[in-house]
Amino acid sequence: MLVTWRYRFRNSLMDRFDPRARWIFSLAFLFAATMFWDARFLLFFFLISFAWYFSGRTAWRETKRGWKLVGFLLFVMIVVNTIITGGGAGGVVPPGGHQVWSQGTTIPLINWHFHFGLTYERLWFAICQFLRIGGISAIFLIIPYTMDPRVYGVTFRGLGLPDNFAYSMELAFRYVPTLARDFGTTFDAQRARGYEIERVKGGIVKQIIRIAPLIVPVTMNSILTGEDVTNAMDLRCFGTRPRTWLSKLTFHWQDYALIAFSIFLLVGGIVTQYAFHTGNFWVPDFWLRLAGG
Amino acid sequence: MQKKSLWKFGTREVVYSAIGAALYAVLAIATNWLQIPSAGNVSFRPAVAIPMFFGVAFGPIVGFIAGFLGNIISDLIAGYGFWFWWDLGNGLMGLIPGLIFLSLVNYKDIKTILKAELFVIIGVLVGMGVAAISEMWVSGADINTVIFGNFIPAVIPNLINGLILVPILMIAYAAIVQRSGR
Repeated sequence: MLVTWRYRFRNSLMDRFDPRARWIFSLAFLFAATMFWDARFLLFFFLISFAWYFSGRTAWRETKRGWKLVGFLLFVMIVVNTIITGGGAGGVVPPGGHQVWSQGTTIPLINWHFHFGLTYERLWFAICQFLRIGGISAIFLIIPYTMDPRVYGVTFRGLGLPDNFAYSMELAFRYVPTLARDFGTTFDAQRARGYEIERVKGGIVKQIIRIAPLIVPVTMNSILTGEDVTNAMDLRCFGTRPRTWLSKLTFHWQDYALIAFSIFLLVGGIVTQYAFHTGNFWVPDFWLRLAGG
Repeated sequence: MQKKSLWKFGTREVVYSAIGAALYAVLAIATNWLQIPSAGNVSFRPAVAIPMFFGVAFGPIVGFIAGFLGNIISDLIAGYGFWFWWDLGNGLMGLIPGLIFLSLVNYKDIKTILKAELFVIIGVLVGMGVAAISEMWVSGADINTVIFGNFIPAVIPNLINGLILVPILMIAYAAIVQRSGR
């Protein structure tokens, strides 16, 4: 089994930023963007997110899989929830509104007449959802492609997480290729004994039980290995003093600028929303004129 | 012998958190590749049993990190991005079964297994509940979509996987504990 990280160095603008500054920006963006349902603000966030996304210089063929997942989420949230079922749009869109087909509509051939309660307000809300979910997705989808997995531990330590947790993270990333190799070996060994994972006979329960000869040996083997690693770390006095890290992260001027911008987004969002009470769901006049309202 | 503590996070816990997270990630990726038939868009992940089992065997913090970090790593490898609330939900699925860690002595005992199963159910309901409800805040989804579009499709496969695989792993682990005296 081959496990590969999606990351590679691209010498992009995003590569020049410290990973800690990037996490601060991503989280500030998430919290700031989720304060708004006003399309004008959401468009601002959407543009920022895609400017950031493209600064990573990833190719479409690399990120295609992630975008397919986002596309599916958008479809469920927007087309199924907001447009087709009209499930209340999370209490954001006020009840009532201007109906798109106020007289109802008739399906040709079968002559079926029905009232489709879609309103112009809900359609506008769908656009807002697209801007908000699309923007947030772009910010977080780019992370695995542009952030070196080797620096996750030191990054989270630098963000204030305890040494033990950061080291656990570092260790987990290092274990992945080893465990993937163990899994591959176990899989081959079981197949040599006549184990057939590809057989699709039987219900879900049987299918899961059939997975057990793969999961159990790999898990138990890694637990036994873990005891040896624990002993080795204890012998080296792990946890008795603050750790030092192999890679060192240093903030540069561009990182301070990004952190300042993140603070601006977050504080600006809070002030706009709670001091000026602006940024809630709003439908522009030109959109309502389409409804004749 | 050192006394067990529920919220201890020493060397042993650091190592098993890392192993649990890496195992969860690898097995999640591996079973995606195996293409187990499942309903519709539901991602069927037998690997969710790993954080639950690690919680039961090594405590709530280990279970939480195995689920939280394991989900992050598997998403990073698969290229799905970073979905904090779903990572948190996966963490809770490992943390809650871990709450019974101190009361477990014999992992083969039927009462112990039933107790673990009960906490697996609570863990899945709470973990996936938190993750699904977050969609109301992030995506503006309404409660119906959250329940029928996120919560139920996430809960059912995780419950089936957890309820079947956690006892199998517990029985296998009992043999290790017995043999090694750990």
